[in-house]
Amino acid sequence: MRGAALRWAFLALPIAVVAVFLLAPLGLMVWMSFWERAGLLVRPAFTLAAYYDFFQGARLSVLERSLWVSLEATAISLLIAYPIAYFLAFKARPSATRAVLLLFTVPFLINYIIRTFAWTYLLGRTGPVNGALTALGITQGPVDWLLYSDVSVLVGLITSYMPFMIFPLWMSLAGIDRRLLQASWILGAPPAATFWKITLPLSLPGVFAAVVFGFVGCFGESAVPIIMGGVGYQLMGNTITSTLDVLNFPLAAAMSSIVVAAMLALLGLWYLAFDIRAFLGKIVRWRA
Amino acid sequence: MAGGRPALTPLVWGYIALVLAFLYVPLIPPILFSFETGGGAGALRWYAQIWRNPILTSSMLTTLKIGIAVALAATVLGLASAMAIRELRAPRLVLLLMLLPVFIPGVSMGLATAFFFRQLGLAPSLLTIAIVQVLWALPFATLIVLTAMSSFDPVYLEAAYLSGANRRRAFLDVELPLIWPGISGAATFSLILSFNETVRTAIVQGPYNTVQTYIWSTYKQIGLSPTLYALMSLLILLTLTLVAASLLAGARRAASLRAE
Amino acid sequence: MNSALTRRQMMKAGLVTGLAATAGPLIARRAGAAGGTINFADIGVGDPDGDWSRFTGPTGYNVNLVAIGNAPSAILNVLIAGGGTASYDIINIVGGMQKPLVDNNLVEPIDIAKLPNWSKDKNIDEFLGKGMPGFQFIGYKDTIYGVPTVLQGDSFAYLPEKTGKLDSYAALFDPKWKGYVALEDNYTTAGQKTALYLKHAKLAEISNPDDMTPPEFKTVVDFLIDQKKKGQFRVIWSSFQQAVDLIVNKEVYVIDCWEPMVFVSKSKGVDAVYADPVEGYLLWAMAAYVTKNPNRSPEQTDAAYKLLDFMLGGWYGAKITTLRGYMTNTQAPEYAQQHKDEFPAEDAKKVTDITENVRRKFAKGGTWQNRWPTHVDVYESEWSRFKAS
Repeated sequence: MRGAALRWAFLALPIAVVAVFLLAPLGLMVWMSFWERAGLLVRPAFTLAAYYDFFQGARLSVLERSLWVSLEATAISLLIAYPIAYFLAFKARPSATRAVLLLFTVPFLINYIIRTFAWTYLLGRTGPVNGALTALGITQGPVDWLLYSDVSVLVGLITSYMPFMIFPLWMSLAGIDRRLLQASWILGAPPAATFWKITLPLSLPGVFAAVVFGFVGCFGESAVPIIMGGVGYQLMGNTITSTLDVLNFPLAAAMSSIVVAAMLALLGLWYLAFDIRAFLGKIVRWRA
Repeated sequence: MAGGRPALTPLVWGYIALVLAFLYVPLIPPILFSFETGGGAGALRWYAQIWRNPILTSSMLTTLKIGIAVALAATVLGLASAMAIRELRAPRLVLLLMLLPVFIPGVSMGLATAFFFRQLGLAPSLLTIAIVQVLWALPFATLIVLTAMSSFDPVYLEAAYLSGANRRRAFLDVELPLIWPGISGAATFSLILSFNETVRTAIVQGPYNTVQTYIWSTYKQIGLSPTLYALMSLLILLTLTLVAASLLAGARRAASLRAE
Repeated sequence: MNSALTRRQMMKAGLVTGLAATAGPLIARRAGAAGGTINFADIGVGDPDGDWSRFTGPTGYNVNLVAIGNAPSAILNVLIAGGGTASYDIINIVGGMQKPLVDNNLVEPIDIAKLPNWSKDKNIDEFLGKGMPGFQFIGYKDTIYGVPTVLQGDSFAYLPEKTGKLDSYAALFDPKWKGYVALEDNYTTAGQKTALYLKHAKLAEISNPDDMTPPEFKTVVDFLIDQKKKGQFRVIWSSFQQAVDLIVNKEVYVIDCWEPMVFVSKSKGVDAVYADPVEGYLLWAMAAYVTKNPNRSPEQTDAAYKLLDFMLGGWYGAKITTLRGYMTNTQAPEYAQQHKDEFPAEDAKKVTDITENVRRKFAKGGTWQNRWPTHVDVYESEWSRFKAS
């Protein structure tokens, strides 16, 4: 009996932690988005002024840009990461797999400001990349769009979050029961059909986790746009910080609430499109 | 089938090497900058400077303490929430709740939790830093454990029950070893996320510096010193040595297995 | 089975000791909130490379420097939400933040009677006194809240090998350097410098660049957006290191920036020049504020004042000028010249040169950076329009 209570407590613990330390502050934040400003302070009220401000002003384009660039970066990252994860799960020796996975994590122990900043040196007009391009005669002179452009922001985002995506992809692929693949082979399915009909669907849990890692990582990123973006490149985190510079708490709260709502909407779409049960399937079925 | 077309294999290895190179290229400039001479001093002077900067040494200690605490706490909580998703009535709701922390922009979450800590009367401390970082790492830890669990076949547990094991025994002896890659992965991710977290930490840092907040502040206002580059180069060297050591140990174990 | 058992036991033991080891210090220590340590939040400029021995020796108090950001959001977040008034005794940031700090009840007035070095610093009297425009960096409604620790006059930097000699902010908008110009991401520096230029060149009606009306600031932003669309700017920088690299790597030729960035670039062998513009300078000062903490003991407050006085003294001033390239106080050059054991001749010369040069800038004038203009909300939203354009 005591064991059961202990077990229940263990399961409830993370829920309690998130509920206390996140739901309460989040509720406060949403509530504050309806407050009104009184000089430098805020006071409880119910006004949509902050939302009006956001949807009327220049910041709406920042939300759009954040969604697009995160989507792009996540899609490209997935295309890069999936083949690697597939190869590691099915073709490589276990020791080689472990080595490669470790090698993918090492750069992340290095401070990410320093890592991101190093790109500006590498990609600059007088940097080694442009030097090599010019020396090899590929370009006439330095290429401007390598840095302070949409391209460099993508480079920064992909190198920051793509490796996070390899791991869950590899785990879900490695967990696929090989007998299913063998059965498919025995039944005469060509490798491509086996992949589309069996491997890919079974790896969706990992794809889901990878997409969440990549997308929310990029969406919440505030250092890459500052360091590698061009003339005033901003993502949502940057523009929220900017409104906090003038103590506009309601606007900051409203924008944060909009971001959370957008994320929940995307998650809802994902639920609809891919049916989350594909992910939870084996886990949940087992409960019953 | 498992071999695929052999001609393809070196090609894929080349591709992996290329992607890895892309990730390692940004590590080269810091290493070069760390040997910056000038003023006629030796090439290793900045490495000696690391230990003479009291802010840097104390922030290294703080970062390490918090990193370990966050890695442990987030992993245990991540395991618990993955199990809760499996065993409680509303798996989607619990999953949603666990993912929520990453949906909130960092600065907003830092601010909101900081306000909340003040309401609770919780002064800024290592504990408050650890709490915001655990919240940040928890969704990642949960998803990784969950991914590992999703490919774990419950048949093994059934087998354990049939052999007379109770729930706890079955979990510890059968499931835990099988989902271990997920657990260790969750801990590694949490540690990395803790090392790199700035926005949330800065708001509740109180009287502490972490390596990350210190670097961010100097980067913004007075410029990165070669000392910081030296510290990062040491870290690169250290982690690569650890990786090499673990690979070597793995290779030796494999060799001895084969010898048996 | 056997191996699984031992692994399990090992894991269990490891987890328990790990938790105990990390949870212990988490709860136990609250870094010297009382007695013996002054918690000093600083933007990095006020760090004498960790050497507080000349303060710690006579007073017995240690200094715990916490590196924070200088953006208003960073400061206000830490103080309002993060409980910073209880964590820190002093915050040393770019001044002019009195309005939000005082109105939110975050800082205390300064009792200058407790600061013997205050009256010895000629800079305060000459440039920051009551009734002068510089007072806005340390005072609010006739009360003093900040101790000036650094004073500086900003303009812009250029690479003479590429551009020849430049002496007007017009260079930032000169089509000749199209695509080779960088601005700071800051409406109270880049915005104000642009206003100073527009006013001087008679391109816009701006009565006071220090404190613009909403239509005036909108004119400034419209001008900047037009320039941006024409491809005038390569990047809008937001950190010291970024600006240094833009100069050192010759990524841009003309850059709106801070003078110490030029010193750093020169030390790396790049011939950059900090301009003396005809329009004048953007003048500013850093201020150290005492946070409002009702629980602080009188002894702790006394010690905080001793630290403030130490920061107005010759050694600290000379050290900061040597390390960071900003002018501090007028005792600094004398101290550096008289203490050859502590400051070698070249350092003493550097301190003297910088002090003389910045005092010259203050005498010439220009515009006073206003970190909290009357219509700061308009500045912020207009600036975000510029960035999003």
